[in-house]
Amino acid sequence: MPTSGRLRWFIFIGLAPSVALFLLFVIAPMIWSVYYGFYDWSGIGDSRFIKLDNYKEVFDDPVFWKALKNNLIVVAASVFGQVPIALILALVLRKTSLFQRIVRGAIFMPMVLSSVVIGMIWQYMYHPQVGILNFALDWLQLGNLKRQWLGDPDIAMYSLTVPIVWNYIGLYLLLFMAALSNTPAEVDDAAKIDGASGARKLFAVTLPMIWGTIQVAVILCIAGSLKAFDLVFVMTGGGPAHGTELLATYMYNNTFNIYRFGYGSAISTVTIIISFMFIIISQLLLRRDQRQF
Amino acid sequence: MNNTLQSAKSYNRIINRSTNRVVVILLTIYSALTVYPLLWLLISAFKTDQEFFLRPFGLPEHWMGENLRRAWSVGHMGQGFLNSIIVTSISLLLTLLVGSLGAYIVARFRFKLKPVVMGMFMIGMLIPIHSTLVPLFILMKQMHILNSYGALLFPYTAFALPTTIFIISAFMSSIPRDLEEAAMMDGNGLWGIFWRVMLPVSRPALATTGILSFLQFWNDYAFALIFISNNALKTLPLSLSIFTTGYSTNYGLTMAAIAIAAIPTILIYLLLQEQVMKGMTAGAVKG
Repeated sequence: MPTSGRLRWFIFIGLAPSVALFLLFVIAPMIWSVYYGFYDWSGIGDSRFIKLDNYKEVFDDPVFWKALKNNLIVVAASVFGQVPIALILALVLRKTSLFQRIVRGAIFMPMVLSSVVIGMIWQYMYHPQVGILNFALDWLQLGNLKRQWLGDPDIAMYSLTVPIVWNYIGLYLLLFMAALSNTPAEVDDAAKIDGASGARKLFAVTLPMIWGTIQVAVILCIAGSLKAFDLVFVMTGGGPAHGTELLATYMYNNTFNIYRFGYGSAISTVTIIISFMFIIISQLLLRRDQRQF
Repeated sequence: MNNTLQSAKSYNRIINRSTNRVVVILLTIYSALTVYPLLWLLISAFKTDQEFFLRPFGLPEHWMGENLRRAWSVGHMGQGFLNSIIVTSISLLLTLLVGSLGAYIVARFRFKLKPVVMGMFMIGMLIPIHSTLVPLFILMKQMHILNSYGALLFPYTAFALPTTIFIISAFMSSIPRDLEEAAMMDGNGLWGIFWRVMLPVSRPALATTGILSFLQFWNDYAFALIFISNNALKTLPLSLSIFTTGYSTNYGLTMAAIAIAAIPTILIYLLLQEQVMKGMTAGAVKG
């Protein structure tokens, strides 16, 4: 057995690199953002301490609220788009046949692409002149449905939710498939004996069995929606007229386009707090529901 | 009675068979729609700009390799590839090494600060990384490491560590202790046990986290965009940004550039499909 001194040394050496990297590049910036939020600073030169002014401005800023609303639209699209579609697909994709494996592989494929690739592909799919979507509408004799999909501030945010759902559905499909394959076979047999089949079996037996996974999926949707920076940044940059601004793009634009580093930091701090609130609330909901079962 | 039961059964079978057929058709349509954007990308990469208007759904008349060649040189994509390979492989090595060492400590030893360390990593997994872009930028500016490989590989590693540690330590906790005891009998110290026993046995977990981190690093756009402005250091995703601004009406050229950037990960996915799926699902649930 190593002596306790050597053991302590080993624990220290073993953990020090990961803890140091993590403190320096993840935790410190979070604290830094609170600090710079108190300053008026253009990124170079002098900064001026302005107390809570930046934070007050955040809460009075209509664009900030618009960005928060857009983040919630992404959450809603993920919860009501990704989760049900993935669930239906998981229910019909339970076999291991070659056909089903290919379908699964195809649905998951967007997950491995860089968001800049996905953003640019969809930018061109939506393109007013060469976009395949408008061509398809023409071909279907639905020319009057043609839109400036990303150019119209009223619909741009909704156009953006389609690639987001498309991108991540494979992940949720796999989550649900794993959950379904973990339900014991006896439950299926029991349902058969009780004469439950089809929709009744689905709602009375299958869905309750994987309810925990559905909740995990919802939490992932919430956490994931806060990460949807790249795609929106590539496709619209938050425009037109802040129509697709997310918290992260608004922070970026304030900081790197109009050089308000202090204000950008304040938005960053508030975003971190909001994310924690979202996650704590969803965790609490999850825990309470688990107690019921 | 028997007859009606039988006819009911065969009726059910017919229904089942036809619903199956409907399901197959629907699934085929759905997966075709899913893959179509990628297919469209690969076809469009070979089109002339006129063909985008003339035959939006059709195949190009001549498969123009020219687009790919020009995109490669205009976007300095060779340089981008090289930078991506350097940054990704160093970050990956660092993440797996530092992460698995941390995971071993967390899985096997008790110490006073353990709850604090674990809680810290947990918090780190929950915050959306993009919300720290601005303060991270300021911090690295003060450290004078902006516009260097370090500006990418340190944040990459730091943000990948929690998931890596959680996945690998969960795996290590399930390894029977007999193995370590036997290694100790053979005269191995703690380092020997880590290198000769824990690391080799944890290969499946290392593969899972490795694939997950590889895709994260290779595909990253936000960090590279903000922390790298020097052309010589631009990674592959970043080399696409020139096409969004300067060449956006050069449709074929831009599509070719996107295709070049997309093909490596698609190939890796086709080769290692099961592992990639497993890695990304594990990462999502732990992260």
